[in-house]
Amino acid sequence: MSTRTRYIAERVLLAIPTLLAMTVFVFLLIRLVPGDPVQTMLGFRATPQNVATIRHQLHLDEPLLTQYIDWMKGLVHGDLGRDYVSHAPLSELLGNALPVTLELTFLSMGLALVIGVPMGVMAAARPGTARRLTDGFVILGVSIPDFWLGTLLVLLFAATLVWLPPSGYTPFTADPVGNLRYMALPVLTLAIGEAAYIARTTRGAMDQALGAPFVTFLRAKGLAERSIVFRHALRNASVPIVTVAGIQFGVLLGGAIVIETLFGLPGVGRLTVTAINQRNYTVVQGAVLVIATLFIIVNLVTDLLYGWLDPRIDAGAER
Amino acid sequence: MSAVAVALRTRRRLRGRAAVGAAILVILVLVALLAPVLAPHDPNAIDPSRVLAGPDASHPFGSDALGRDVLSRVLFAYRVSLGVAVGSVLVAMAVGIPLGLLAGYHGGWVDSLLMRPVDLLLALPALLLALSLIAIIGPGSGVALFAIAVIYLPILARVVRGSVLGVKGEAYVIGARARGVSRTGCMLRHVLPNSLGPAVVQASVLMGFAIQIEAALSFLGLGAQPPTPSLGLMLADGYQVLQQAPWADIYPGLAIAITVLAFTLIGDGLRDHFDPRGVSR
Repeated sequence: MSTRTRYIAERVLLAIPTLLAMTVFVFLLIRLVPGDPVQTMLGFRATPQNVATIRHQLHLDEPLLTQYIDWMKGLVHGDLGRDYVSHAPLSELLGNALPVTLELTFLSMGLALVIGVPMGVMAAARPGTARRLTDGFVILGVSIPDFWLGTLLVLLFAATLVWLPPSGYTPFTADPVGNLRYMALPVLTLAIGEAAYIARTTRGAMDQALGAPFVTFLRAKGLAERSIVFRHALRNASVPIVTVAGIQFGVLLGGAIVIETLFGLPGVGRLTVTAINQRNYTVVQGAVLVIATLFIIVNLVTDLLYGWLDPRIDAGAER
Repeated sequence: MSAVAVALRTRRRLRGRAAVGAAILVILVLVALLAPVLAPHDPNAIDPSRVLAGPDASHPFGSDALGRDVLSRVLFAYRVSLGVAVGSVLVAMAVGIPLGLLAGYHGGWVDSLLMRPVDLLLALPALLLALSLIAIIGPGSGVALFAIAVIYLPILARVVRGSVLGVKGEAYVIGARARGVSRTGCMLRHVLPNSLGPAVVQASVLMGFAIQIEAALSFLGLGAQPPTPSLGLMLADGYQVLQQAPWADIYPGLAIAITVLAFTLIGDGLRDHFDPRGVSR
């Protein structure tokens, strides 16, 4: 087995216990609620009969291990349980909400890379004004809380200029232009903060790459600076950029929770917040499970990309 | 300009930045401590005649939807936010540093036993972990503090463990052992003080983000509960009246941004001090 195959197998195998541990946490979530979760969940509808029915439906009257195994069996078959407020199956609720969150996070990350990478490269390749501008952008982008930035953008683009709607949602399949108009402000909000991190990482990695001996050699060879910067140094700098983009994806998923609520997007984040406020534990459980799984998958993909980009892994060198 | 000259100039500028950050922070802490003296009005006094009134001489930041003075509310809310931020990082340090120290110094099964569960906390996005804990315990400022501490614990433990692994192989540590200093003595007297640098840098950056997380949680209605003045709650209320009274939203947001800015500047400067080659940047 080649070193690379072994690396990939190792990463995939390592993700499995993490996923399992996460399911245990999510499973325990509802069972750790102080007092009677069913009583809390049902509120004023908590007649003794209702409580007993729901507790039986949630299998809360069985031994913990049996409950977990049954729950996991359901998960494997795509059965996440049922929302006890709207009576809809969770798979349906989450199936509707997930595309919204995915569209928001992927568009934001894409835009952040489009803004951040060139900024970082410019800052490293042309010290002076470009570097100072990037530094300023990074400091501001990191410091301004995303949901407040969202508010400011609403104030500018929705309230003052009236170019974009302040909140709401249309599915892409129903009205692509309308969908993008609704998505524009939330995506921009999340992307600006992310772009700051990407720009900072790119600048740092490019600084190191451009100072490395191989670049001096390429310069001595008479290669055009443009080719050195974009073809050679950027390829060398891509490992930390991909790593940070992967790590930041988790931050984006967290940010999406707040931004979806701010802009009224019906994604998994807003579903989670609404469910927590309503003490609708089964929905909280399903939403946390979906976001966490997504997060673990993204981390795994980042690890694999890292292995693909860093040729030293092939050579079996210590990371 | 050569790359070295640029790097040196950047370094000097970063040192300057840390000083600016520290100066801002000192002023902010004083403002938080002196809030009762500085606030021109009672933060919770409702004045029907000043509903959404704009800024003027006696109310420099204007009034909110209930006619309350925004400046006084920002001052008092700021105390809560800063308190939660500092408290959460201190709790995370109090638990995370010993964990990282023990795991890194002893290695082997102690390391696995202590770090595996800690690492699992990193398997959820930070804000989602905080929300899950709040879903279990219920909302409130104290719960927010605890939740943020749980998010930060694995980060600090990891950072300390990493630097302990480096420090424990240093000649002075091995020398101390050879001199007959006990393992525990060695760990506490030689390894711990020399491993704290990166954790301090991390803690200062995390404190800035803690203010943001606290505000986000309160904004979602899951952190501080009314009538506690909280920057996040003020932002949520201000958003409802954004068009009529933007000041009710802009000033609390600005307070958060300036605080995070101060911590970021300090963190950048400190990182440069502890890590002059910029390896971890």
